Amino acid sequence: MAVNRKKVGALLCVLAVTAAVAGTAAASHKGTPGVTKAQITIGGTFPLTGPASLYATIPAAEQAYYAYVNAHGGVNGRKIKDIVIDDQYDPGQTPTDVQKLVEQDHVFAIVGSLGTAPGLATWGYLNQHKIPQVLLATGDAYWGNCVHRTCDKTNIKKSWTMGWQPDYPGEARLYAKYILQQNPNAKIAVLYQDDAYGKNYLAGLRTGLGSHTSQIIATQPYTVTDTAQVVGAHVGKLAQSGADTFVIFATPAAAIAALATETAIHWSPLTILNNVSANRVFMLLAAKNGASLNGVVSTGYVESQTAQPNLSGMKLAKKIIDATKNTSLETSFSEGDNNLVYGLGVAWTFVDALKHAGKNPTRASLMKALRSLNESKKNANPFVYPGMSVETSKTRTFPMEQLIFEKWAGGATGDWKTFGNVLTSGH
Amino acid sequence: MSTRLPALGSLVVVAAVLSALPFTLSDYHVALAAQVGIFFVGVLGLNILTGYSGQISIGHGAFMAIGGYTTAIMSRDHHTNLVLTMVMAFAICFALGLILGLPALRLSGVYLALLTFALAVSVPQLPLQYSTFLGGSGGVQSSTTVSNVWLYAAAWTCSAILFALAWLVLRGRTGRALRAVRDSEIAATASGVSLPLYKTFAFGISAAYAGVAGSLFVLATNGFAQPTEFSVTLSLQLLIGAAVAGLGSLWGVLAGAAFVGLLPQVSTSVPVIGSAHGRDVVFGAMVVLVMLVLPGGFAGLFDRLRALGRA
Repeated sequence: MAVNRKKVGALLCVLAVTAAVAGTAAASHKGTPGVTKAQITIGGTFPLTGPASLYATIPAAEQAYYAYVNAHGGVNGRKIKDIVIDDQYDPGQTPTDVQKLVEQDHVFAIVGSLGTAPGLATWGYLNQHKIPQVLLATGDAYWGNCVHRTCDKTNIKKSWTMGWQPDYPGEARLYAKYILQQNPNAKIAVLYQDDAYGKNYLAGLRTGLGSHTSQIIATQPYTVTDTAQVVGAHVGKLAQSGADTFVIFATPAAAIAALATETAIHWSPLTILNNVSANRVFMLLAAKNGASLNGVVSTGYVESQTAQPNLSGMKLAKKIIDATKNTSLETSFSEGDNNLVYGLGVAWTFVDALKHAGKNPTRASLMKALRSLNESKKNANPFVYPGMSVETSKTRTFPMEQLIFEKWAGGATGDWKTFGNVLTSGH
Repeated sequence: MSTRLPALGSLVVVAAVLSALPFTLSDYHVALAAQVGIFFVGVLGLNILTGYSGQISIGHGAFMAIGGYTTAIMSRDHHTNLVLTMVMAFAICFALGLILGLPALRLSGVYLALLTFALAVSVPQLPLQYSTFLGGSGGVQSSTTVSNVWLYAAAWTCSAILFALAWLVLRGRTGRALRAVRDSEIAATASGVSLPLYKTFAFGISAAYAGVAGSLFVLATNGFAQPTEFSVTLSLQLLIGAAVAGLGSLWGVLAGAAFVGLLPQVSTSVPVIGSAHGRDVVFGAMVVLVMLVLPGGFAGLFDRLRALGRA
């Protein structure tokens, strides 16, 4: 019994301390959360570990850009602090992580968070509390389609949410046009990821083909967890269909396996690869696995450090990355990684919006600025492909709607080469 | 979950503290406390299976998925009251657990572990296969969402009810029979204990608990159910929770639930290794440490303390 009493006493002590700590944490903050005279605190969730950790470059690049801005005086005298939490691309973890950012770290906004499912798991909470969830790193159409109308049965409009990159179906429609231009009688085989991501792409391709849809003579779905051998078997089946055009709507690991298999079985159709998987870093991995790569066609929307090193944006990128020497970010980057440029571009847009959100920004004024972006001509985003704009308005909820075609040349040491004009993909 | 009713005093203290917490904690901490309640339900259920009937499961995350999808889909399609969906999750998972218990009769040890592991891997794939009904990777969004305080209240009310139920079931004949099965199947059979009955029952009841936990788990993600939420890791977390809890103590289950519910969040604030990249490292290291220091889980620790007190 004596022990029991001690135990209860100890428990009560612990609880008293917990309550005290929690009470302090809950103390109310005046003004806009996350905004002080000297600092603006924002946050985001990203896969730093786990199956999608190849994307970890994105938050590192964003932090590198904010460090650069801070070193040059910040925005309206305020430095930007970006808190990154690793949610491992697991939507079961994201809600607690986001709640921590909002309620513990008192962030001003959630900026750049990665992943469709993690986004969907948190947009209800964030919109309910009127907290900006912006510049999300996912190309699904939810982020633009649900601003003015309700998309699910919760009846909450998602007007505090927005994406950044061009959306997937629009990209697929451009591929459809390109294929028909090359060969009106093309026989098309499609490898796609068996989920919303892959299916949205496939739907876009069908819409783009219109009356030519029947020219898709074979499709093979694969699941994210399939091994390279399984993906290879799917590609083998597609090759047997007699198709002369091969479209890949995949995530990087599967795309690498598909490209390598093509070469291994001596199938050489016109190959089209979606831009998510067309990062040069992944292409070089495919080459290491035996893929010949030459002639593969894809699209892009950011500049390339390796193909266009002389653009002013890429010179700036080099400066920003060089400035991370001897910091914790130093090891995060590898030359030619599109995700690096992507992260810089997103951070640039955020800073641009913050500049337009007034001297003393509020969450509402930030959203207003983000809903009226005009990054073109003189105010063009230096990391986005030259001639493309990042724009929003009352009626336009997708910031980026343009892409440029690119073709791989130079084999295992090669790179993407853009061709043609900047095209509008719409959404 | 002792077969003895835990000291009334400690129960009252736990209840009083739990009902006072939401008034003293910030909203975020209430969410964390709710998370602990959710894992309490899941770990409690798994403890019945592993601790009492001696069977292992690396697949209870699958039942959480089934429970979670039950709630999300019933709410999406029929606007069913959320509490009612939890009851449905309990019933559905109980039935499915009984069915899984049948092959489990013929398997034990590592083979049973593999069977349940297969379950944990395959169930989350079903929504991808039947995406029109189960939402595919886009997930299922319930029609109503709940506040943190609501979730907290629901999680701990469920915990209380299911704890009482476990106590009622395990204190008498059934608990004795289950323990007999665990200690020696031959001896149990010789004493007239029906192996199939008790083994499948243990699977059913623990699956039902996991179902309720899953239902709460989905409410904690704003009513959004999605396959990757229910990865194998979740099953492992439950198993770790049960191992940390040890056998036969309310405090043990509470400690196990707090361990798996809080550590992933807390571990990010551990200096140096706990930085953004070290969450799993800290979690893994802590599991190793706990297992080294407390091979009998927290229940074993409390037993030892009690023995010390008597000495």
